Amino acid sequence: MRAPRFLLAIPAWAWLAAFFVLPVATVVYFSFGYKPGIFGTHATDVLSLDRYREALSPTFFTTFTNTLRVGVLGTLLCLVIGIPMAYWMAVKVSPGKRAFLLALVIVPFWTNFLVRTIGWQVILAPEGWLSGMLQALGLRENPLAILYTRSAVLLGVVYNYLPLMILPLFVAFDRVGPAMREASKDLGANRWRTFTRVTLPMARPGIIAGILLVFIPLMGDYITATVLGGARGNMVGQLVASQFQAAQNWALGSAMAVLLIIVIAVTVLVGAAIAYVVTWPLSRARRLRLADLEGLPEKVR
Amino acid sequence: MSAQAGAVELTGVTKRFGDAVAVDRLDLRIEPGEFIALLGPSGCGKTTTLRMIAGFEQPDEGEIRISGESVAGVPPHKRHVNTVFQNYALFPHMNVAENVAYGLQQTRTPKAEIRERVAEALDMVQMRAFADRKPSQMSGGQQQRVALARALVNRPSVLLLDEPLGALDRQLREEMQIELKLLQSRVGTTFVFVTHDQHEALSMGDRIAIMRGGKIEQLDTAAAVYAQPASAFVAGFVGQQNFLAGTARTDGVIESGPIRLRSERAGQHVAPGPVRAAIRPEYVSLAPVADLTAGAGHGTENTVVGRLASIAHLGETMQYVVEVDTGHETTSLLSRIPTPAAPNVHVDDEVVASWTPGCILVFSDPNAGPAIPPDLTTVPSTTPAHPPR
Amino acid sequence: MSHPRRSRPVRVLAHASVAPRIMAEFNRRQFLSVAAALGGVGLLSACGGDGDGNGATPGADATGRATGGELESQLSIYTWGDYDSPDVLERFTEELGPEIRLDSFNSNEEMIAKLVAARGTSGYDIVVPTGQFIPQMVENDLLEPLNKDLIPNLEHMDEAFLSMAWDPENQWSICKAWGTTGFVYDNTVITRELKTWNDFLDAAQNEASGRTSVLDDPAELTGLYFWANGIDWTTEDEGDLQAAEDFLVGELAPHIAAFDSYPGGSAIPQGTHALMQVWNGDARIGIMESPDPDRWTWVLGAPVTQLWMDNWCIAKGAPNIEAAHAFINFVLAPEQVIDQVDYIGYHTGAKDVESMAEEAGLEMLDLVFFTPEQIETMKEGEVNSAQQRIVDIWNKMKAAAGA
Repeated sequence: MRAPRFLLAIPAWAWLAAFFVLPVATVVYFSFGYKPGIFGTHATDVLSLDRYREALSPTFFTTFTNTLRVGVLGTLLCLVIGIPMAYWMAVKVSPGKRAFLLALVIVPFWTNFLVRTIGWQVILAPEGWLSGMLQALGLRENPLAILYTRSAVLLGVVYNYLPLMILPLFVAFDRVGPAMREASKDLGANRWRTFTRVTLPMARPGIIAGILLVFIPLMGDYITATVLGGARGNMVGQLVASQFQAAQNWALGSAMAVLLIIVIAVTVLVGAAIAYVVTWPLSRARRLRLADLEGLPEKVR
Repeated sequence: MSAQAGAVELTGVTKRFGDAVAVDRLDLRIEPGEFIALLGPSGCGKTTTLRMIAGFEQPDEGEIRISGESVAGVPPHKRHVNTVFQNYALFPHMNVAENVAYGLQQTRTPKAEIRERVAEALDMVQMRAFADRKPSQMSGGQQQRVALARALVNRPSVLLLDEPLGALDRQLREEMQIELKLLQSRVGTTFVFVTHDQHEALSMGDRIAIMRGGKIEQLDTAAAVYAQPASAFVAGFVGQQNFLAGTARTDGVIESGPIRLRSERAGQHVAPGPVRAAIRPEYVSLAPVADLTAGAGHGTENTVVGRLASIAHLGETMQYVVEVDTGHETTSLLSRIPTPAAPNVHVDDEVVASWTPGCILVFSDPNAGPAIPPDLTTVPSTTPAHPPR
Repeated sequence: MSHPRRSRPVRVLAHASVAPRIMAEFNRRQFLSVAAALGGVGLLSACGGDGDGNGATPGADATGRATGGELESQLSIYTWGDYDSPDVLERFTEELGPEIRLDSFNSNEEMIAKLVAARGTSGYDIVVPTGQFIPQMVENDLLEPLNKDLIPNLEHMDEAFLSMAWDPENQWSICKAWGTTGFVYDNTVITRELKTWNDFLDAAQNEASGRTSVLDDPAELTGLYFWANGIDWTTEDEGDLQAAEDFLVGELAPHIAAFDSYPGGSAIPQGTHALMQVWNGDARIGIMESPDPDRWTWVLGAPVTQLWMDNWCIAKGAPNIEAAHAFINFVLAPEQVIDQVDYIGYHTGAKDVESMAEEAGLEMLDLVFFTPEQIETMKEGEVNSAQQRIVDIWNKMKAAAGA
């Protein structure tokens, strides 16, 4: 009677298939090849796993760890900020204002990704205007020292990726509808319980979509982190790019890209497993099955 | 207090949305254990009234007391009231048993008791076997029962039902009407039932509150509302009426075009002046014009000759439309006669329509209330005698 | 080797003090520079072809296809973003006719990948590779030989910038612009005088620790070590490379705040770092845009530093080969040179360009023109078998600095 909720996520999945799976197949093929001579980029007449051996270097893992930290923290921050914001927009704001707020969320996308990020670099610089203003107002004695720190990286990540989190969350919360919340309150649940037991579980497809939409591109993005984090924003995407570009070794770059995809997929699976394990006792406590009711006397009146 | 448990009292309750007054100084007292139906057209304020009792809306003025206690400022989750929603509003991510257990979990009921009461509530609506189903795996009627069980398992003082049968097909609706009524008498909870369907209201309500424009026009038993409507609006909204506008003469006879009516209804006082008379279709009988007794016909009181425009078979009754020429226009009269007693008449026949003088309702305020015409659209279009309009 | 684009001033040459900073910075310098880092994406999408270097032996026809015949009506130039004065391009069309279509790349690799994929059908006429990539392009048969008879203005070029190692007879290329590497420091933080790469490395590990940026380019990093230690920076010797790695990854990395190829874009004007490895043209813009230019000291890398050079070349299969020759000849003319220098902020390799720039009143010319003795210390780079190794060192250093 009601369309299955996963329909919401179909455009996201189609997008991933067309722009992720297809190029990846090419990259996987290259990864078994080698770099022929100084001026060649790749050859596939002899296939081997040697590039994977080369790719699995300590550098890769150090860089990947740094990337994972940015990816996980950034996604969590987007989630923590995005949930109340999307909830507020979907539930508390009048429909007229809602369109305006959605537009505000999307407007930054009209500006080039890079320009937006560099904008923050200018704002956060020690002699930038934010620093100057804080010092003029007496809020800081020294110039602002946030640029080229991990905090600046996370700030940039939230700024660039928050809309990707808010939009699916907004759609999901909007879809829950007021009737479900009223039914919950009517049955004795306060706002918080209504949110945790009805709104949030029903919005789960949107939450998953939001997490994937933020986490996956973020793991491959090195612009945001490099522009704002400097040396602290070293990301594995840059490592892969360096093989394609500077080293002109497409085979090794491909092997690294494939490894990256595998580790990201494993990370997502591990994350899902952790989420399941953490919520399992809760859902277990609330679960009620036909089997639980068996043996109870049937009271026919 | 205990004598009051389940009583609902609204005093001077007003609710506005912007400039629109949804509920206007409403007074209503519902007795404990009563099954009351709020009946009215859409926009009459019945759902808003229900939502104020549930706590989803706060009255702008007036007071609501539930079980003798004022509920001003009490949020919905703290009211001992439960609602069966129009589209059931079952939680799609929970199975039937979890849906029913939800309310009990909020009050931190011990697990063993939850299991017992969930089983009991599901048994009550014969849905225990469906405990593992998700709402999306059930029919509308099944979801309806689960919604009832989910509300009743909390043993509320008052159960609110917001058009709960609206989404069901007709047969299921009629079955559920009977079941709901039986269920209510069994559990003894106060039921406040909102509907726009007069049959539903009449068949279930101990009392029926007919609402219009945010006010209650009449609050009484089904029999009283049917037989003694307090206004032309009530008369028209409950059942059907042939409304005839006319002028009452000093001798009490009402002239409406060529039709002469004389009410012999007990207690009916007809003041001279413009009036509106109402006759229910079931009180209008028909006969072939050949049967016309001497002295009947135009000008005879409570009898009129007209052309039979259509015949419709409604099952247990036959419905006839008689067109009476009033000189410059045509008045239609609706008649319903039990099928076994159907007269031998045909479309285009000249027929005599007559009615019992004791059944004529006269309202002296011809402008009050909407002239609700006989609802001819209920005539089945499959009837060849009455082509679809 | 990635040679991201050097910075080019806009009108700031004339209006340095009033240049509105933020937007000017975005549109042509930093924006493009960071975009260069994105090149890998473009590279992937362009990788339909086979990149193997198996071209036929080129250069058999020394004069090429161009005969000096009638000019075509169009000209397509594939170059670094915003790398030519619009006035010069307009004048070319006005005087000689062909309409110019510009397309830009962010790295030599990106440009090469595109030409390889197109196999002579790219539709580009003129391309602008950096010198050390020319042998690779020749080997892959990506270039047309120049017909020097059609480029008489070659006589206005300074001999010093012709006959470079990668193309000794200028058979394939003519200098378009060149620059070098040095460093800039904040003399309010580093109060001693820094003169050499060794001074740079010492300051980076002492008073400028955590406030130092280096160029985000593999060869510039290993170069830093080799230049300071008197080692040929095109070395392929594993011992040299290992020494560079040990120093850069083990000792220098923890002191590095950022890998920034364009500190002139915002780091110098915004005072983000105290010590920055920087290309000369970019340093000039940064200092000119700084609210306090006297605070910054420019030092040309010493005792040895690099010389990079971008070159006019003609792409294999160029559809408008006559117009391409005419254009190269046109921009080499003395009338056009000063507009080009003014616009891009780098030496174009023309004779007497320094005196012309002085006459025109351009500022801070010591960051554009260098003495013959200084030029003597500048060495060209090379794409060789050490390439993979220096990229690995670069990545290791970044990993170490980011940890």
